Amino acid sequence: MLERILDKAVKIGASYADARYQCHDYELVTVENKALKSYSSRRLSGLGVRVAIKEGVGYASTSDLTPNCLEKTLDNAFKAAKSIRGKEQAFKEARINEADVKLSIKTDPVDVPPEEKVSIALDANKAAWISDKINSAVTVLGLSKDFRLFKSSEGADVGVETAQTGLMHDSVARVNGVMERAPYSESMCAGFEFIKSKDWNSFTADLSKLAVEAASSKTPPPGTYPVVVDPEVVGLLLHEAFGHASEGDLVSTGESVLHNKVDIQLASEVVTIIDEGVVERGYFCPFDDEGIKKEKTVIVENGLLKSYIHNRDSASQFGAESTGNGRAQNFENIPIVRQTNYYMQPKDHEFEELIEGIDFGICVRGKGMTGGEVEVGMGTFTFGVGPSKVIRNGELAETVRGVVISGLILETLKTVDAVGKDFELRTNVFGGCGKSGQTVPVGFGGPHVRVRQMTVGGR
Amino acid sequence: MELAELAVKKALSMNATEAETYIQKTNTVRVEFANEIENFKTVESLGMSLRVALGKKIAMYSTSILDESEIGEAAAKAVKIARVAPEDPHWKHMNKRFGKAPVEGYCDGTLETLDYREIVETLLSAMNLMKSYDKRVKPTRGILTISTSNISMANNYNEGCERKETNIEVWMRTKAEEAGMESTGNEHQEARFWREMRFEDLAVKAAEKAVKFLEAKPISSRKTSAIIRNQIFANILGVLLSGPINADWVQKGRSPLSNKLGTRIAQENISVVDDGTIRGCWRTKPFDDEGHPTQKTPVLEDGILKNYLYDTYTALKDNVESTGNAQRPYYWMNPQPLPNNLILKIGGASPEEIIRETKRGIFIEETIGEWLSNPVSGNLNATISHGYLVEKGELTKPIKGAVVSADFYELLKDGIEIIGNDLRNSERNYSPTVKITQLTIAGKD
Repeated sequence: MLERILDKAVKIGASYADARYQCHDYELVTVENKALKSYSSRRLSGLGVRVAIKEGVGYASTSDLTPNCLEKTLDNAFKAAKSIRGKEQAFKEARINEADVKLSIKTDPVDVPPEEKVSIALDANKAAWISDKINSAVTVLGLSKDFRLFKSSEGADVGVETAQTGLMHDSVARVNGVMERAPYSESMCAGFEFIKSKDWNSFTADLSKLAVEAASSKTPPPGTYPVVVDPEVVGLLLHEAFGHASEGDLVSTGESVLHNKVDIQLASEVVTIIDEGVVERGYFCPFDDEGIKKEKTVIVENGLLKSYIHNRDSASQFGAESTGNGRAQNFENIPIVRQTNYYMQPKDHEFEELIEGIDFGICVRGKGMTGGEVEVGMGTFTFGVGPSKVIRNGELAETVRGVVISGLILETLKTVDAVGKDFELRTNVFGGCGKSGQTVPVGFGGPHVRVRQMTVGGR
Repeated sequence: MELAELAVKKALSMNATEAETYIQKTNTVRVEFANEIENFKTVESLGMSLRVALGKKIAMYSTSILDESEIGEAAAKAVKIARVAPEDPHWKHMNKRFGKAPVEGYCDGTLETLDYREIVETLLSAMNLMKSYDKRVKPTRGILTISTSNISMANNYNEGCERKETNIEVWMRTKAEEAGMESTGNEHQEARFWREMRFEDLAVKAAEKAVKFLEAKPISSRKTSAIIRNQIFANILGVLLSGPINADWVQKGRSPLSNKLGTRIAQENISVVDDGTIRGCWRTKPFDDEGHPTQKTPVLEDGILKNYLYDTYTALKDNVESTGNAQRPYYWMNPQPLPNNLILKIGGASPEEIIRETKRGIFIEETIGEWLSNPVSGNLNATISHGYLVEKGELTKPIKGAVVSADFYELLKDGIEIIGNDLRNSERNYSPTVKITQLTIAGKD
């Protein structure tokens, strides 16, 4: 099917064409307040085709795979290419790959009987009701299986199959009229064996304890403090505030704060940042959606910016190689420059050493965090983190809730003065990273990190 | 339509006691642009979800493959899942009342003949306005999305129903650079009709904003009066109120507004309605995503909490009629109550008058991260990416990077000093500019 479309595209004038087929299964089992709220299962399948002609590059997709509709889709791609009058897109020469890669899993999550999934989610939800302070609890079991096939008029032929499973939970607690929540999830690129390997009942009970603790605690006084950031927040902060800015398409338009900054010292010397396609506990991304192999890309080395990440189009604009970062949410989308597993490399400090010199500060934690947003143009970030700990006289003290951290990423990275030796990386079957209306699964992480100054909001 | 009814029949033939289909067919044209048109794509997407009940056991299966054999398989899979689902003691039945509210203005027929070249020309002229505004400015990112959706529904209680709707949204950003200083300017608009799009106004405003903010400086922490621009307050309203007035949140004990119907939760000049019937609004439509007619529902009337928003399931649980707020954010999701168009009633003052009446304070032009606010605790948080100092009734210095923290319910009770008359939307949320008496700002100290 793909070959036929590509042949036809070339015959009617495309200088380059690629076609992507995908079949994606996704299931969510949602339990709310001890009752099954929904069991939703879906299959998404279809094809997208991209053509390059001298006027431009056009893209069209369809989930209707009847021959008529495929013809129409190819027409639409040509029509889009003809009307674009835009920049010339180039497909930077790259190694043409032929591969068929499958994540090795033990139990196919789609085949596990529905009753087993329901009972795991129900039990985990019931375990969250640890006291009458818990007002509401939601548990979601999620799984995904994704097959993608990429072929191009250049002869590339790359198939990747992966699976992901996980569990997400959110408890809401009320203490003396104050309500707080603690949403958190754990996922892995794996089959159902990951779900079976964990004690989810204590996972949800712990989150309930955290929600109660948060609701019983105060918000921190707003101001600027030294902060120790945990691996999850480090990962998310880097991904959002620095990772996006290192994406070649955002750099080439001048939108990114990292524009024209290669080989410049952007962070303190202890900071090294990597984007890598296959990392333990990360998202499994051996090839991108342009059939390019995703290997290890060093973005920042000892504080110096070394490289951006690229798809074939942005690579050609920089005279660089594609780093295998052309990714699309699904067949309905064009591959754009996206991160894979983005993380800070660990160094040499124990956690105790990170907090010992701080008279008053905050140890910022990711568990229970609500999310973040960044303006890449300026590198301004803001994150609502989870219940965190005050650091007083070099020791962890009381819990604080409603903590929001904010700053300018380039200033923040310069004030990183110590990096821990621990390391954690996470991925998430329930969501991913959004850019230009596309969400893709990613991984992120790092060690504990000390930042000399960070603006903290609260009430 | 035939497919929707066919799926219902198949499920019933497999012993489902109830079945409901929702089919969505969407054509999307999406153009990304920066200094040039970056890419142009068209997407035809199909999707069907089938919800079945076996007594009080419910399940849902969705697929993007819409042929007869897959529909049979979908029905079989949905019934299979329902069989093992535990009973939901609150389940009564699916929506028995299909119907259409007399609503117009939610589908732009001209889009069918809108030429791709006209779309490109329109964007190019907006981009040229940004470039020619000032040589320090260039467009750095923009996305235009034009979508036309055909939605059809059927269940075992009703004849099928169909609606066709259009949505157009554009977002654009510019960057200004001068002597090592950088700044950005963003604008966005969401509308039902192509002719309502103000590409050129947005372009000029985005360029103007970037230039003005070249000089922006952080400010120190303070408590100050604050004027919040209409679209920003619309976002805040959406983030902090949509959940708490959702009947599902109320029933699940997640809403801080539980047990507060008929009581005062806001000062007298505050009224909020949810209205799915106003011509041309972002989520206006004759019936919701369960086929139930939409309506105008007072949420806050002169400060008194009047209603929660319901879909069929939550309405039956409370023994009331659905308010026509069932929505499926995506076709594969279960319907849930969400606002149609959430609207804060305007006051009398123009934004210029509000500024003139402010001796000292700040004007909040843009924020990021307001969606991180916590609707469960009412904790409002946002980072000001673009703001101004207000001094002696005028906008003076541009400011950036300060964090706003407040208790949303305290603001509603006695914190809102003036409500403007300049209603504008950010997607489904509509608000005028408002002035807050006192807001806590964490800045750079």
